[in-house]
Amino acid sequence: MIASSSPIVRLGIRAASPPAVMVGVYLLFAGHNQPGGGFAAGLVFGAVVALRTVAGLQRPSRAHELMAIGILIIASVALLPIIWGDALLDQHVVSVDIPLLGKIKTGSALPFDLGVTAVVVGLLLAVLDGLGAPELAEEPATLRPRSLR
Amino acid sequence: MVLVLLGFHLAGVGMVLALGRRLGIRPLLALGGTAPAISAVWAVVQLIAGSSDRTSMVTWVGGLDLELRFKVDSLALLMTLLVSGIGALVFIYAIGYFNRDTTGGSRFSASLLGFSASMVGLVWADSVWTLFIFWELTSVTSFLLVGHKNQDPSVLAAARRALMITGAGGLILLAGLLVLAQQANTTIISELPAIGGTSGTIAAILVLVGAATKSAQVPFHVWLPGAMAAPTPVSAYLHSATMVKAGVLLLAVTGPAFANVEAFTTLGLAFGLTSMLWGAVGALRQGDAKLILAWGTISQLGLMVTLLALGTGKAVFAAISLLFAHALFKAALFLIVGEVDVRTGTRQIDQLGGLASSMPLSFAAAALAGLSMAGAPPLLGFTAKEAALESLATLDGVQQIVVSVGVGAGSVLTVAYTLRFVFGVFGPGPPTVVAPRRWLMTIPALTLASLGFVGYLVLGWVNDIVRPAAVELNAAADYSLLRWPGLTAPFGASLGILAVGTALGFGVIRRNVGTPEPKGARTADALLDGVLVAASRATGRIQHGSLPVYLTVMAATASLAALPFFTGLDTSGLVLANQPLEMVLAAAILVSATAGAFVGSRLGAALTLGAVGTGVSGLFVLYGAPDLALTQLLVETIVVVGFVIGLGHLAQQFPAASGGWRLTRLAVSVLGGLSVTAALAAAAANSVGQAPLADLKAGAVDEGGGNNIVNVILTDMRALDTLGEVVVLATVALGILALANVRPPEVPG
Repeated sequence: MIASSSPIVRLGIRAASPPAVMVGVYLLFAGHNQPGGGFAAGLVFGAVVALRTVAGLQRPSRAHELMAIGILIIASVALLPIIWGDALLDQHVVSVDIPLLGKIKTGSALPFDLGVTAVVVGLLLAVLDGLGAPELAEEPATLRPRSLR
Repeated sequence: MVLVLLGFHLAGVGMVLALGRRLGIRPLLALGGTAPAISAVWAVVQLIAGSSDRTSMVTWVGGLDLELRFKVDSLALLMTLLVSGIGALVFIYAIGYFNRDTTGGSRFSASLLGFSASMVGLVWADSVWTLFIFWELTSVTSFLLVGHKNQDPSVLAAARRALMITGAGGLILLAGLLVLAQQANTTIISELPAIGGTSGTIAAILVLVGAATKSAQVPFHVWLPGAMAAPTPVSAYLHSATMVKAGVLLLAVTGPAFANVEAFTTLGLAFGLTSMLWGAVGALRQGDAKLILAWGTISQLGLMVTLLALGTGKAVFAAISLLFAHALFKAALFLIVGEVDVRTGTRQIDQLGGLASSMPLSFAAAALAGLSMAGAPPLLGFTAKEAALESLATLDGVQQIVVSVGVGAGSVLTVAYTLRFVFGVFGPGPPTVVAPRRWLMTIPALTLASLGFVGYLVLGWVNDIVRPAAVELNAAADYSLLRWPGLTAPFGASLGILAVGTALGFGVIRRNVGTPEPKGARTADALLDGVLVAASRATGRIQHGSLPVYLTVMAATASLAALPFFTGLDTSGLVLANQPLEMVLAAAILVSATAGAFVGSRLGAALTLGAVGTGVSGLFVLYGAPDLALTQLLVETIVVVGFVIGLGHLAQQFPAASGGWRLTRLAVSVLGGLSVTAALAAAAANSVGQAPLADLKAGAVDEGGGNNIVNVILTDMRALDTLGEVVVLATVALGILALANVRPPEVPG
């Protein structure tokens, strides 16, 4: 739609997507000790998805499923400790020594963040679908505002 | 064990629903009746074993006393026996009542079993919250059952009326229970202390009104006759033996708490006596046998409410005895009406005749149950009525006169409508064609009716069931039902009532055989319709769908809410800037915002808003909040992209605004800006202590295993909040998708 006819924008977004996804993954994992976290990661992925939608590029399309998976992960992280007799949402920290990489410390906060990410991306997809963005991207010139072409 | 029994009920509901497609209505009813049967047998075993109280509970939120708390004491066992025992019989009866090929079997059977589960939960409940939850569940399942024949608009109206009245009563009850629990400082029903004072009066009135809606007391009784649109097994079970007793039960268990509250007695007597008289008069005006019984139920419930409102030992004992006897005879009479209806095709007493010879077993059952209802010996109803009359002897002054006259007149009318019912249905009249007997309908009715006689024979056993239940409520209620009271004043009164009632009854058997206009129900419906119409008008006025107006209203409301902060404003601590760079950012933000207010194109406005947000995130960076800045920046980015997409649907330029509307928006904007500024400045000037940074830091590393405090707070310390927020996000997303799929209605022309 708005940008799909401009080769510069298309190419730019295509080129920027992989690094942006890497930044998102970094934020997701770094979040526990550095600035970042599941919400920020979700927003970065969401931005990628939104830009790709604007440019009419391929992108994930399953808003419901992503949200369902996200909530399922979060609910499991919340409820599993109860089965082991701990409190709701009790945090488990695991640290592993891996050769080359050194000591890696993680915990149940990571899947929790992953769930948050999935829900945020799902929400953005839902908003994009709700705004009719994919249809706009496919529609011929008649629907497009003239100046935005 | 209590939880296991409830589990049986729920499993039964699940199985009935799962097998609903494959089985006919009769196997489904047999399946549904299993759980009540088990529960009834359990109650009998407990009664014989004479076991002590037992409490079971599942804690939900401990700090708020929110728990599912059950206690099976003597009163609960008595009620279980009635609810589950009559329930099992009603399931058997329903197998005979419905034809083999009746559809909707799984819905009916599951609702009936669901009701049974709700009702046993209600009688076992020992926390006011548990009681309330099951109370509401009985209203909902009752709605489903009353509205079972959902093709008929009058049935649906009756179901709605019942739900609205009992539902509204439920809300009033909730308010009453809140006040009661607050004042008594406990939510455990069996440990409620006697309360007093103004809040005691308020609680008593609210609880009484709640109970009156459920137990169909005048003027809330209008739903009960309409609820007779339900299939007769439902009427027998819900609207005579169990659900309508929930209000009586509630008054019984809360009665000790309200013992010192005068309003409880006064209002209770007002409800009870009016209902007893008006219900009995109503029964005499009906030509439909089932409606005679329904109005009779209102009257009998009125007597029970009267006795409980008196609250003396004898009165409580009489009320519990009457509850027991009434459940037996009234359920039996309803079952008989259902059989007459199925076998003759009518319930109008002027169209029935000669049934005494063509339906002899039913006639015998009706005679037994009817005599019990009228309070004639040698039946259980007689002993209960004696106990009630005897309890009046202990009163004094005006109260004794008023209550005695009311109860006496009510009892006379009761005898009269009993005669009208029995002779109207089974007496002489045009000979009626009768279909073959269905044993599954006859046996339960005969069983319940003869239990009234058996109970009289083994009165010691009945006493062993009733007395402990009454004593639990009032330690002074240590009385016995008497098989033969001797030549006492109450016995004389009983005989007098029977004599006058019989004379009156024979006079009105064949009078007023039509069905009078249900004026009360009309009024209630008109009231409900009025509420709905007013609600939809108000919604149309408030929710008119203009986004700018919504936003303006919201901004104005939020700004006004911030007004109190102006008083806390302390300008002495304010500085222009902590760092010079802030001023640069602030200037950029101001320029962008001003440009945003004046720019004519929508895209320009979106971009300037994005610039404002980016500037704010720069301020976050300056103050050392990288997480906040990162999130803000990302959100701004996505919002701008979203704007760009959304703007594809809209015109490029903002529409021109009229002068007044422009001024309004200007005023709201200025007010909003001022309020936010004042609120922030006031908050900064009035800090209420230091942030527990050291604790948070230590907690983050030790417990959360992370160095980013913000993230540890989100994923560990306050993870429950995050969980809630995520659910909100998902709900919003689903809402957006749903809204997006709504097509605007086509405008004709």
